[in-house]
Amino acid sequence: MSEDPIARNVLIEGADINVMYENFHALHDIVLSVKAGELVGVIGPNGCGKSTLLRSINGLLKIESGELTVNGLDVRKVSLEEMAKTCSNIPTEFPPDFNLSVYEVVMLGRYPHRKSMWWETDEDEAIVRNAIRMFGMEHLSGRDISQLSSGERQRTLIAKAYVQQPKIMLVDEPTAHLDIRYTLEVMQYFKDLIRNEKDMAIVIAAHDLNTVAKYCDRIIMIKEGRIVANGTPEEVVTEKNIREVYGVVSDIIVHDGRIVMIAKYPVAKGERESSSISPDSKSEKHPVVNTEMSV
Amino acid sequence: MSDVPTGSISHRMKIRLLLIMVIGIIALFVMTLASLSLGTVNYSLSTVIDSLINVFNNGVTTGIDRTIFNLRLPRVLATFGVGAGLAVAGIVFQAIVRNPLVDPYMTGVSSGAGLGATLYMVFFSSTVAISYYTMPVFAFAFAVLAFMITFLISKVSGNSNISFVLAGVITAMGFSAVTTILMLTNEQHTHGILGFLYGSFSSISWNTAAIIVIPVLIVSFLFIIYSRTFNVILLGREQSMELGVNYDRFRIVAMLVASFLTAICVAFVGIIGFVGLIVPHLARMMLGGDHRLLFLASMVLGALLLSSADILVKEVINFIGVSIPIGSITTLVGIPFFVLIMKKRGKGYV
Repeated sequence: MSEDPIARNVLIEGADINVMYENFHALHDIVLSVKAGELVGVIGPNGCGKSTLLRSINGLLKIESGELTVNGLDVRKVSLEEMAKTCSNIPTEFPPDFNLSVYEVVMLGRYPHRKSMWWETDEDEAIVRNAIRMFGMEHLSGRDISQLSSGERQRTLIAKAYVQQPKIMLVDEPTAHLDIRYTLEVMQYFKDLIRNEKDMAIVIAAHDLNTVAKYCDRIIMIKEGRIVANGTPEEVVTEKNIREVYGVVSDIIVHDGRIVMIAKYPVAKGERESSSISPDSKSEKHPVVNTEMSV
Repeated sequence: MSDVPTGSISHRMKIRLLLIMVIGIIALFVMTLASLSLGTVNYSLSTVIDSLINVFNNGVTTGIDRTIFNLRLPRVLATFGVGAGLAVAGIVFQAIVRNPLVDPYMTGVSSGAGLGATLYMVFFSSTVAISYYTMPVFAFAFAVLAFMITFLISKVSGNSNISFVLAGVITAMGFSAVTTILMLTNEQHTHGILGFLYGSFSSISWNTAAIIVIPVLIVSFLFIIYSRTFNVILLGREQSMELGVNYDRFRIVAMLVASFLTAICVAFVGIIGFVGLIVPHLARMMLGGDHRLLFLASMVLGALLLSSADILVKEVINFIGVSIPIGSITTLVGIPFFVLIMKKRGKGYV
């Protein structure tokens, strides 16, 4: 990390990142580099550290050791306000119903850029209106968020993250509650976004390998807090990796020029450990990642 | 609601705020005149206006002046202050626990403040000269204590919205029980028991009205300044932090200030439930959830609700000769609202 990361167009740069949850070692020696214009997918089994990685990048979790910079800022030193202007996050959880309209929720994304305590500027309004148009929600803008479908809610949250004008957009399980049509639509938004905003990077943590393989330029595969593969979908989604990381026997086929993984059956117990990547992988410990303190 | 936002939204919002202010001030003015003319003796509007003019020119000279200017005017101003204050406190508690089912009463804060004020009355009221200023301090200390207890019980029992509501209810019951025991075992204070446990404005002076209204206005103004931050914290801890809000600190400060606001409201007139639940809910139905509109509209609505309820109290005395506590009226109005909110969106909160 001797060179200036901004000069090299690197938005996220991490070296030897370790994250601990009390006694649980959630991330081991992660080395990471994400450039502007990249759409990166993070995949791995439940509890492998996908969400932990996202939370470390935007500073919500303190890293135990190592170095991590976003847009050249040290995540351990940057203020919440500064981070909010650099990095936005699209969560899985949707805000409770307090009679906020779609427009009002999207406008919350302008909060880090506020010029006055009370009023939004004309610029804020133009940006929000543009985002609402861009995500095809003009007809929904006055509607109460409690009346939206899951796909519409997801779009609202994406629009909110977009008007935050971040350099880095972090997305946690964007398609968890969506049917296949909305899944394709939502992923296409990210694809279009990265095509239009070339100085931005998007990191998506997701379960669905085929969706990630279809839309992402690069995939990072994590198992038990360690990166086990990092490269193009062709390089990462292989029969060997699926077997080692998920314990699943699969066929990988190429259809219409894209990688498709067909899961066949789980590997028999015991057999999987022979090719283990980490020596202490027998215990099924899941980190408590929910730091939400809502009452 | 129009579909596509055309024109400036903040311009539309400014117009709505202006409307709230204009309608609100007119309504409060009308309510003031009504409250001044109604009571054990009903005066005509012209008598009220003549009396006010007389007080303005010559000071309080007649018995009618005394009733209207020294008893009824501070009383109606206090109902405005307490109504506005409880409504604002309700909004703040709802936002910081992200649950529209809570208000200062449901969080136990009102009952805590009630016990604080009672303890003061029972043990320290011999020093009457300073009581106006130290009683709210006691009320505040116990209000915070009550909130802490509710919060802790809720936290150890799963931290869900329903556990918070239940924790608040039992905390309120506990504090009220101690208050009742204290009142009944100290006979010289017994006369005010019911009035205090369910609220009464019958003994409001200019002094107490000022001690209620001025802090309510100052504290509400502070909250109004932070309206946009309140909008953000509805998103929860992580999402607020991702928008640059120091969530934990903001919540603690807001909780303390809202407890203080509740203490001020409760210390002199007793516990009045459900105002902080009904009023913000009505305001949300009319204007949506943006706190910039919500705070101001709720202040006006809260003032109107409580002053109307107080007129009802005064009229009931005229008809059946019995004084009913104002809190029983707000509770009776509030319960259907509570049921309505639970029915409409309970699923998401339980």
